Amino acid sequence: MLSRVAENLYWMARYLERAEDMGRFINSATLLLLDLPLGTQFGWDILLQVTGEAERFQQFYGQPAEKSIMRFLIADSRNPSSLLSCVHQARENCRTFRHLLPGEFWERINSLFLFVQDGLEKGDIAGDRRARLEFLEQVIARRHALVGLLVSSMSQNAAYQFIKLGRNLERADMGSRIIDVVSAVIPPDDQGLRKTVYQSLWVAVLRGMSALEMYRQHVGVQIQPGRAVEFLLRDSKCPRSVRSCLADMEIGLAYLPNAGIPADALRRTRRRLDLLQLKSLSPAVLHEYLDQVQKDLGMLHRSIENAYFRAHEDQSPYPHPISHRIAAQA
Amino acid sequence: MPKILYEYPENGVYDELLTPGGEPRPAARAVLSHFGQLGPEALRQRQDTADAAIRAMGITFTVYSEAGNIDRSWPFDIVPRTMSAREWARIDAGLRQRLQALNCFIDDIYNEQRILADGIFPREILEGSRNFRSACRGTHPPFAVWANICGSDLVRDADGTVYVLEDNLRVPSGVSYMLENREIMKRLFPEIFALCSILPVDDYPAQLANMLAELSPRSGDRPVIAVLTPGIYNSAYFEHSYLAQQMGAYLAEGSDFFVDNNDRVFLRTISGLLQVDVIYRRVDDDFLDPEVFREDSVIGVPGLMRAWKRGTVAIANAPGTGVADDKVVYAFVPDFIRYYLDAEPILPNVPTYLCMREDDRAYVLAHLNELVVKPANESGGYGMLIGPRASAEERQRFAERIAEDPRNYIAQPTLALSTAPTLIGDHLEPRHLDLRPFILQARENYVTTGGLTRVAMHAGSLVVNSSQGGGSKDTWIIEEDA
Repeated sequence: MLSRVAENLYWMARYLERAEDMGRFINSATLLLLDLPLGTQFGWDILLQVTGEAERFQQFYGQPAEKSIMRFLIADSRNPSSLLSCVHQARENCRTFRHLLPGEFWERINSLFLFVQDGLEKGDIAGDRRARLEFLEQVIARRHALVGLLVSSMSQNAAYQFIKLGRNLERADMGSRIIDVVSAVIPPDDQGLRKTVYQSLWVAVLRGMSALEMYRQHVGVQIQPGRAVEFLLRDSKCPRSVRSCLADMEIGLAYLPNAGIPADALRRTRRRLDLLQLKSLSPAVLHEYLDQVQKDLGMLHRSIENAYFRAHEDQSPYPHPISHRIAAQA
Repeated sequence: MPKILYEYPENGVYDELLTPGGEPRPAARAVLSHFGQLGPEALRQRQDTADAAIRAMGITFTVYSEAGNIDRSWPFDIVPRTMSAREWARIDAGLRQRLQALNCFIDDIYNEQRILADGIFPREILEGSRNFRSACRGTHPPFAVWANICGSDLVRDADGTVYVLEDNLRVPSGVSYMLENREIMKRLFPEIFALCSILPVDDYPAQLANMLAELSPRSGDRPVIAVLTPGIYNSAYFEHSYLAQQMGAYLAEGSDFFVDNNDRVFLRTISGLLQVDVIYRRVDDDFLDPEVFREDSVIGVPGLMRAWKRGTVAIANAPGTGVADDKVVYAFVPDFIRYYLDAEPILPNVPTYLCMREDDRAYVLAHLNELVVKPANESGGYGMLIGPRASAEERQRFAERIAEDPRNYIAQPTLALSTAPTLIGDHLEPRHLDLRPFILQARENYVTTGGLTRVAMHAGSLVVNSSQGGGSKDTWIIEEDA
């Protein structure tokens, strides 16, 4: 497989995951708002912090408010992480390798892009909460259909593995950011907030990461912040946990050639995750730790980039192989 | 048979589906009768379905000027263009003959130049050729074939004669639309395919892959083949991707290649460098190799020409092939057929006046209002003058250009391009069209069954190019009952 194509596959998967995570997080925040007592000040800017685009937002919009934040996060093409930008980028990337994916995939990703574009042109997605919920749910469902299509009809070849790497890296990255930002915002115990409201906040986080039902099944109905963090970071069964993302990437790397350095980076990240004493963690230490997770994920990304996307001219070519021509289809 | 709503074209234009009396031609009988039964409402619905399918399938071409959204769906008309298999067989033979002669010419011009010595082809035309690449002199591509893929444009005049209008030998495009158009028609009208014998077109990708494999300089039955594309902003990117997929070849951009010090060409892959045997390039000569041609090319591969000349990699079409894709050279193709093949041309050329010849030029300048004037080296229908439709100022401007650079202009009579019924709103109207079959040549040769029918969607227009308001139709070569 061409290095450029591998890179585009990887980034397409990252963009699609980012679009879905963003959609989820926005919807979950909107639903949370409905649970809060009337008149509660809701910090919409938490969404900006999670995406790491607060500065850019300020540059274009100034004071954060629900509508402008929504426009920025969903519909603004000047924001490279906006839902529109992500879906557009994913589709543009897909152009360069649509011949490697099941034929329907291009039709669907094209249709996802057209849906987003039309939806944003026609509806008041930023201002109308009901329209927004519905729109984002559609985007999430369509993205699920894309993943489902790949899982059910794509060979587990190199192309598939790069999609898997991109998806999981982005998911782990977003997940750890969400936990980080939310833990910093939500006070460690229920001082000042009624117990139910406090529950609602963590319900929203779990729901935002599509992990609420699994949490209830595996951990319990009562949601405790410490256990929620543990679950989202380290649960080995929940496919949204950072731990599961790493495990999935490990499987992906096992299929690929030259995986030595990325696999090392991955193991380092996982080891750090396993050794962590979550129970005794103060918010400050948790933040420090999550910061480290972010850095580790960054390292992992760079090691994948170096191993696969930047083929070096000093590497000696491999001999004329029968099997490598199949790599074109693979 | 229910009457089909159709205003037959006036002025004696030849219609592909109907006789001057308004009766269906034999090859069109089944489809017209079926369309008549369906009625306008149902036709409109199927047209809408086709449009939606095209949008969903992302069958698009790209328009350079439109930033942001670069895709444009190419209008597709659901009324097929039909032709009898008997008539097609003659065209097929004519196209093979023509490409064979063109390849003899190109190989001769870059090697012995017998045709110049024998005085059949004037030396000054070669000297004025913009697409002659001296860097290609003395090279011997496999089978002495330079143009492995050719897309000739055919048109039919009022009297029914089919002419070759031009031979596209550089990087002809459109074959993917031919294939997709058939896919769409099979989805839309499965019932008609059961009513008459429509010859299939879908073996083209396999034929192309086989032809390219034959060019491989290394032995072994699985050569590494790459389609070299300028990238997603190229108007034919959809096609590059489509063909690579169909052939199981790499779809690569210039930056994916690397030429080493031993003049071998490699692809950068996730497993390291992979040696390439055959490149189906969809990049013009000018941009192919910045070491030899345009230095500022960022879509080419530095060192590619070294490798090609040394024979470590095959390139289709070979660099320099464009020398024969020149409207002045075109005028000599019938002579090439006589000279190299010792045969009479099966398909005629459109009569062509070469402005470089004094007599011709005088005639052209005196008859600008009747002629079509074309620059020798443009494609895509750009830079033409359609005399009868041009203003006096436009004609004056062309007269000046011709006087300045006579070598670069030719003129032809304005042909009354044939028409076919085309769905406009809820009824059928005649629209002018042409036909672009694709011809392959390596060890053997091959011609697509039919080709891509391009249609001018505006009433009366003769411009069928996708970039200028043209659309396309499926082309049905119909085997009639014996």
